[in-house]
Formats: sequence, structure tokens, C-alpha cells
Amino acid sequence: MRWLDDLAFRIRALLGRRELERDLEDEIAFHLERETEKNVAGGMDPREARREALRRFGGVDRFKERTRESWGLRWLDDLRADVRYALRQLLGSPGFSVVAGLTLALGIAGTAAIFSVVQGLLLRPLPYDEPDRIVRFWMPLWWRGQEYDFVRERATAFEEVAAYSNDGVTLRGESSTSVTVAGVVSANLFDALGARPLLGRTFREGEDRPGAEEVVVLSHGLWRSEFGGDPGIVDTRILLNGRPATVVGVMPPEFFFPDPETRLWRPLDLDPADPAYASNGWLALVGRFEEGTGDARRRAELDRIVAAVGERFEYPDHADKTRDAGLIPIREAILGDVEGPLVLLLAAVAALLLMACVNVASLMLARMSDRREEVAIRAALGAPRGRLARQLLTETVILGLGAGGIGAAAAALSFDAVVAALPLRVASGMGQGFGEILSLDWSLAAGALVLAVGTGLLVGLAPVRRLGGEGPAGALSPGRDPVPDPGSGRLQSVFVAAEVVLAVLLVSGAVLLARSVAELRSVELGFESAGVVAVDLFVGEGDMGGGERLRFFRETAREAAELPGVEGAGLVSRLPVRDGGWQGSVRLEDRPDLTGDRAPNSYWRAVTPGFFRTMGIGIVRGRTFTGDDRTGAPDVAVVNRAFVEAMWPEGADPIGKRIRSLAVGDGSGEWTTVVGVTANARSVGVRGPVPPVLYRPYAQFTATNLSTVLVLRGSGDPALLAGPVRSLVRRRSPVVAVARVTPMERVVEAEISESLRLRLFLGLFAAVALLLGVVGVYGVVSYSVGRRTREFGIRIALGAEPGRLVRSAVRSGTVPVLIGVTMGVGAALVVSRFVSGFLYGIEPTDPWSLGAAGGILLLAGAAATAVPALRATRVDPVRALKAE
Amino acid sequence: MSKSRPDMIKGTLDMLILKVLSLEPMHGWGISERIQRMSDDVLEVNQGSLYPALHRLARRGWIGSGWDVTENNRRAKYYRLTPAGEAALAKERDHWRELSWAVDRVMAAEGA
Repeated sequence: MRWLDDLAFRIRALLGRRELERDLEDEIAFHLERETEKNVAGGMDPREARREALRRFGGVDRFKERTRESWGLRWLDDLRADVRYALRQLLGSPGFSVVAGLTLALGIAGTAAIFSVVQGLLLRPLPYDEPDRIVRFWMPLWWRGQEYDFVRERATAFEEVAAYSNDGVTLRGESSTSVTVAGVVSANLFDALGARPLLGRTFREGEDRPGAEEVVVLSHGLWRSEFGGDPGIVDTRILLNGRPATVVGVMPPEFFFPDPETRLWRPLDLDPADPAYASNGWLALVGRFEEGTGDARRRAELDRIVAAVGERFEYPDHADKTRDAGLIPIREAILGDVEGPLVLLLAAVAALLLMACVNVASLMLARMSDRREEVAIRAALGAPRGRLARQLLTETVILGLGAGGIGAAAAALSFDAVVAALPLRVASGMGQGFGEILSLDWSLAAGALVLAVGTGLLVGLAPVRRLGGEGPAGALSPGRDPVPDPGSGRLQSVFVAAEVVLAVLLVSGAVLLARSVAELRSVELGFESAGVVAVDLFVGEGDMGGGERLRFFRETAREAAELPGVEGAGLVSRLPVRDGGWQGSVRLEDRPDLTGDRAPNSYWRAVTPGFFRTMGIGIVRGRTFTGDDRTGAPDVAVVNRAFVEAMWPEGADPIGKRIRSLAVGDGSGEWTTVVGVTANARSVGVRGPVPPVLYRPYAQFTATNLSTVLVLRGSGDPALLAGPVRSLVRRRSPVVAVARVTPMERVVEAEISESLRLRLFLGLFAAVALLLGVVGVYGVVSYSVGRRTREFGIRIALGAEPGRLVRSAVRSGTVPVLIGVTMGVGAALVVSRFVSGFLYGIEPTDPWSLGAAGGILLLAGAAATAVPALRATRVDPVRALKAE
Repeated sequence: MSKSRPDMIKGTLDMLILKVLSLEPMHGWGISERIQRMSDDVLEVNQGSLYPALHRLARRGWIGSGWDVTENNRRAKYYRLTPAGEAALAKERDHWRELSWAVDRVMAAEGA
């Protein structure tokens, strides 16, 4: 226990330092007084008595030193001295300090910012109870209500199986209606997640069945923003889709599901009597395993469910649910899309920071070389090597802390912009996606601090290792220009190679992403996006009856076509590229064998006649819709080429063939005649093959959809049409909401937004890396050539050809660059495995891209080497020789 | 050990200090004088080692310290023995006895 008392003493000593000092002084003074008195009493004269007393005591100062040392506070004094010295050094050479500091600050700012995002999103636990018990069911296709109930009944290892989907709903406010994303969920979803409400309750069993009262649970954010955080909100009614719904609960602030953009939840309406129950696939399923369910049991359960589903339902080949079955951990299901890109960016920015460190270490080495004299003197005067090393590290850590402060400030100021630019969007994407749950917090400062100290230590390592490199004699040799330290020159070459490796990685990453984006952009859309704008219209079911709604939409489209600057207008139930959904079974009259679960699958869309022309979708056979195709007239359909190829692979002419889509609300339910074939237009996303799509005229549709998309083609800038359209809609009815107005080009861009954003960041990093690399190489070569100025001068004076000297300098300077490029390309090949998921249409080992990256670095390196070399040979030999 | 001999062994000084303090609390200078007097001037305390020893003993908790006023009304730092110190003194004394007995035995041996 002695060490405990000792520790207590040390702490007391630290805090009561001054008192200890005073005590010590007083005690010694007293002692000397008494000793002096004794001597005087023995006959000495006072001055001699005092001297004798001092002599007998021994060295007073030495004694004080030793006592202080025994207090264990020596390190504090040393530290203070080191800090003062370090500050003097750093402030004494402002050029170096500023350059080094800013270089580090750049790296620290980027890394701290992205680390803070990673911490806020990926390292934080999900807002669910015991998330490792929650899984999402595999989803090559969405699930139908019937399938959900079936699985739910048969699940034994699961405590709960729940279903969810999302939808846009209108919220009626004071003067206007707004649209928000709602989660449409089974009553037990919150139980499956193990999430408890902040106010009120979540859903009760049975609230997701027909006849139940309309209830809704609000997210914390929505409660604050739309309802002012009213504590009495529970049991009040709000207007949802024009219908009153009772608020039964509010969720806590950190809760979200499945993403932060879903701002309220309402129950499903699972009705076995509804034809959509058995035919519409639109649900995702999650399940909560019982406590203690091990891996083996989970696998067994999965196999059982797959077998049961396969037996009960028959699936056509291209929509077979028994294939590729799996249970995805909820964390991956929710964060999987954002996790990958974020980790990639973190790695990239860390590489950049490493480059910055190497650059600064190189600078430090050069500086140490200049201070060798001073260091040698101090070593000769007895400073232990450990002390010198500590001083050096103090200097670099202080530099690091300064850089960290600047970096943290820069990152904090630009945090919001960075979050907005990161690939955090969500598929339903009206807002910031996962960026909404991020905010500036402690993690940024903590990250910056750790990085500051870490980089300070890292940067100091190299010069410290060179400290003991040679004895004082070498450094103190006569003549002001000592022989350059070859060891440090070698180390600098290693640094250059390392920097180049990192730069190659970053540059090749940027090139690959850029080419990916180019590939994505060049995908055949099948329609003309330039000049087109998409207007999302929503109306609540309580605000307008079904038939009235359809009429309203069509008349609005007609009036919109008359607006100035509008060349054409059309309606479509789901916007191409952006909106998925609305897929289900199709029956073919000439293939009566393909029925029930073996019926083929297709997407279907309701459109007005003006749609095809407005979007610029070409017709390859037959005709499109006309004004005559309405209720009462024969039911007609237009299909796309993919539909023809999927349904009649033998190549029959589809015109005149009859089909029947099982879309709910699709006309009379009679056989529909195919009258035209369109070119393949991107209907769902931009990647992968175009799926079969079936178009039906709006006028023959009886579905009571609550939303539609109005597409307009303008002669000028499509964004200018936003204002006029909004006024038009508002004028015609105040209960219809215009959710958003988006130029079609932006819609397409949003599809590839993840790749675009990655390209942006990697491009930025690559540019900075290139800059750092060039500066690094230039600095190193310039320094080493500068050392050789005398040598060059002599050789030129003796008749050497300047060109040869330049070439030799360039050669020796480029060697590390060459090594770096080779190793860098090798490293890129190794890392390629992890990057392939972010690329489209291009392999991560694409030789052109890697070659381009390598080439750029080589050129930059050569240029950075050549300039100082050339400059050195221009020096007047006489001046070089005289230079001291 | 006389004045011409080198320093006392560190452990011995500690023991002597503890002994002096077991008689009465004392300040540093007083302890040095006391040891000298009690040993009839044979033992002269190296004053450079005295205070480090005192601080060491205080750190160990064997002696405690406090500021007080001398008979001449001067402020001085007094040391006193703690209970732990008393026990330590007894142990040191036993140890010393053992040691000196052993040394005596070796020195008393006749030629063989």
C-alpha cells in the first residue's frame, strides 16, 4: 500500500508546490541560522561562522535540487522548459511552422469531420432493443400481405414478425398542405424493434386490420416542427390524407425507422378480402428472434420458412422467392448503403492525413539537419539523448496541437456543408437522409485532439531516430557548411516513395469513380430528360373522392399544357427512374397455363396520352393512347419492348394480343388489348436491365390513387415552370399539395447521387494528394540539391556539362518516385477488391485508369524534380564556391 | 565511525533518527546535534544526508511533521515519531543487533 501513500504525496506535491518550496526554504534557513549561532558561540566571527555553516551543510542548491527531485516534480519543470523552448523554435521559424501547421491542419480537419460522421452514424448503437436479434427478410421482390400473414403464422423461433412499407401522406396545415414520408407498418412493428414511445403508446394488435380506427404515431422531429412539441398531442386528431387520425404516441428523439426521413407511422390495412392482399407485392418484413436463438437454430428456421413458402405459393422463375433466401441483420439492412461509402471516404482521408504527416516529417528532417550543430553542442554539454528526444517530440506535439485546433475549427465551421455533400441520401430521398440525425458534437473535438497528438508524435519519430546518427565531431566540423547527413537523405527518399504510393491510391480511386460516373451518365435513358420537369401532386382521400381526384389530375394536366412556355404535359402514376413499386402479375390470353402464382410479373403505370410525347419516349410499333381511349371504350394497353421479350420470347407480334393486369383498380377487369410497343425507357433506376412495363390510359383507370406525377416539357429552363404550376394547382384546389417540383435531369442525377458524391470527394482528395505529393518531392529534391550547390559549382567550373548534372539530379530524385508508383499500382490492385462495390461499368483493376494515375504521378514527380535541379545548375560557379 | 570515516550506511542514519525522535519530537538541526552529543562526538551526521533522510522517513509515514515555535520564539519544522515509526524502530534495532553480532563473530575468529 506504500505506493498509494506515495501517490497521494505526489498529488499533494503537485498541487501544493509553492507551499512545499516555502517550507523547504524555511527549514534550511532555520538550520543554517542555528548552525551559525553555534559557530559564533564557539568563537568565530559572524561571517566566518556563516561560511562554515554553509560548508558543513554541503551544497545548498544541490540539496534543494535533490529534494525537489524526490518530490517527483522534476518532469513538470522539464516539461515547462521544453514547451518554452519548443515555442521559441516554432515561432522563430514562422515559414516552416505555418506551412507544416497548415498541412497538418488540412489532414486533421478532413479526418476529424468524417470520423465524427462515422461516429454519429455507424458507431452509435441503433435505437432498437438488442438489435442483434432483429433481422430483415430477403427481398428480391417485395412481399404481399398474404405472404406476410403466412410467414407470421409459421414462424416459431421468432418472437415477432412485422411488415413495413412507406408512402407519402399529406398533412393538412393552417393554410396549405404538406407532404411527408410515412411508414406504413404492421401493428407489431414497434414491438419487433423493441422501441418504446416517449409519449403515449405505439400500435395495438388489430389496429392493422380492417375496421380499426385511424391512428398514427409521430416522430420526435415531426412533433417538434409541425406541432410545436405540444405535450398534449396524444389523443388529439390530425388530418392525414384529408382524413382525421388520432395521434396515439410520439417516439423519442433518437428513434428512426427505417431511415430518418420517415416522420410518422400509420398501420397497414391488411384485409384478406381485398384483392391487393394476394396480388400486390409492396412490403418488407422484419423479425425479432427469441432470446438466445443461436446460429444453427436461425438457419434451421430460415430453411423451414423457405420450404413452407415454396410449398404454399408457386412462383414463376424470374420472381422465385425460394431463391437467394437470407436473413439480413437489421444493422446491415438499415445502414448498409451508407456504411460502405463512408468507410471508403474515411480510409481515403486518412491516407491524405498520412501524406500530410510524411510531408511534415520530411520538413522536420531538413530542419533537424540545419540544427545539427546546436543539437551536437547540447549533447556535448551533457544533455541525455532522452531529454533531447523529448524536446523534439514536445516541439512536434505542440505543432500538432496547433494544427489540430485550426483543423477542428475549420471542420466545425464547414460541418453542415460536408454532411450535405456526403452520400447519405435515402431512396425515398426528399431531404437529407441520414444527415438529419447528425449534428456537431464532442466527437469532432475528441477526434481532432487524438489526431493532433498522434500526428505530432508520428512526425517527430523520424527526426528523433536521426538524432543519435552521428557524434558531435561530424556536426561541429570546421567550415560553416557541414557534410550533408546521408542517413537523413535516405530517409527522405523513403518518405517520397511512401507519399507517392498513397497519392497513386487516391488518384486511381478518383479516376475510377470519374469513369464510373461517365458510364452511368451514358446509360441509355430511353427518354429525353432535358427540358422536362416533374411535379408531384398529392391529395388526401378525405379531401376528394376517387373519381373526382382522377378528373382533377387530368384537368390540371390539360390546363398545365396551356401555360406559357410549356410544350407538352402528361400524367404518370409513378415517375420513371425515381419511383419503383406498382408491380404484380399479368395474365396472357394466349397462355392460359400461366396462372395463379406462375403468372409472369410486370410493372404497370397509368399515363395520359401526352405522357409519351412529353417524355420523348419513342414508339416502335402500333400507336399510343388517344383521347378516345376512355371508360366505356375498349380497354387498351401499351407495353415496352422488354415486356414483349419477356412475355413472348418466341418473337410473336404483340399488337392485338390480349392481356390482363391484376392491378387493383385497373379498369373493368376485362381483357386488355395491346395496341402499341414503346422503346425501353428507364422506369426503375438506371442500373441493370429494363424490366417489363405495361402502360394503361389514365382515363380507363379506376384506382383511387392519392398521388400522381405531372410531367411538363418546357421550351426554356424547366425550373422556371415551378412557380406557375404551383399557382395553377393552388388556384384549382387548396387541398391538393404540390410535394416537389424537380427537373428530370436532377431526378436522374439523384439516382446516381451516391456515385456523384463519391466522385466529388475522391476527386478533391486526389487533387490535394497530388498537390502534397508535388510539394513533398519538390521540397526534398530542392533541399538535397541545395546542399550540393557547392559540388555543382565546382564541377561546372571544372568543365562538367550542366545538362549532365541536371540529368543526374533528376534521375536520383525520380528513383523514389518510380518506386512509389510501382508499389502504388501494386497496392491499388490489392485494394481493388474492396472498391468494386462502388463502381459501375468498370473494373477496379482497369489498366487504363491505373496507368493514368501512375502516369500523372510520374510526370508530376519528374517536374517537381527537374525545376530545382535546373535552378541549381544556373548558379554562377564562382558564387557557389564562395558561398558560405 | 569517526570524522575521518566516510558516511554512515543509509539505514543506520534512519534508525538513529527514529531513536532520537522516540525520546522527544525535534527539529532537523536538533536531531543532528543530539546524535552527535549522544555518541560523544563520534558520530557526526552528514547534514547533506539528514534532510533527505527526514523527508524519506516522512514519505514512508514513519515520522510526521508540523511547524511549531522553538524556545526562542522562532518558527521551526518539528518531526515526531508515528506509531508505524515505533514499530519500524523496533524492527531496525533488532536487525542492527543481528548484523553487529554477526560482524563481531567474524572479527573474533582466531586464526585456524
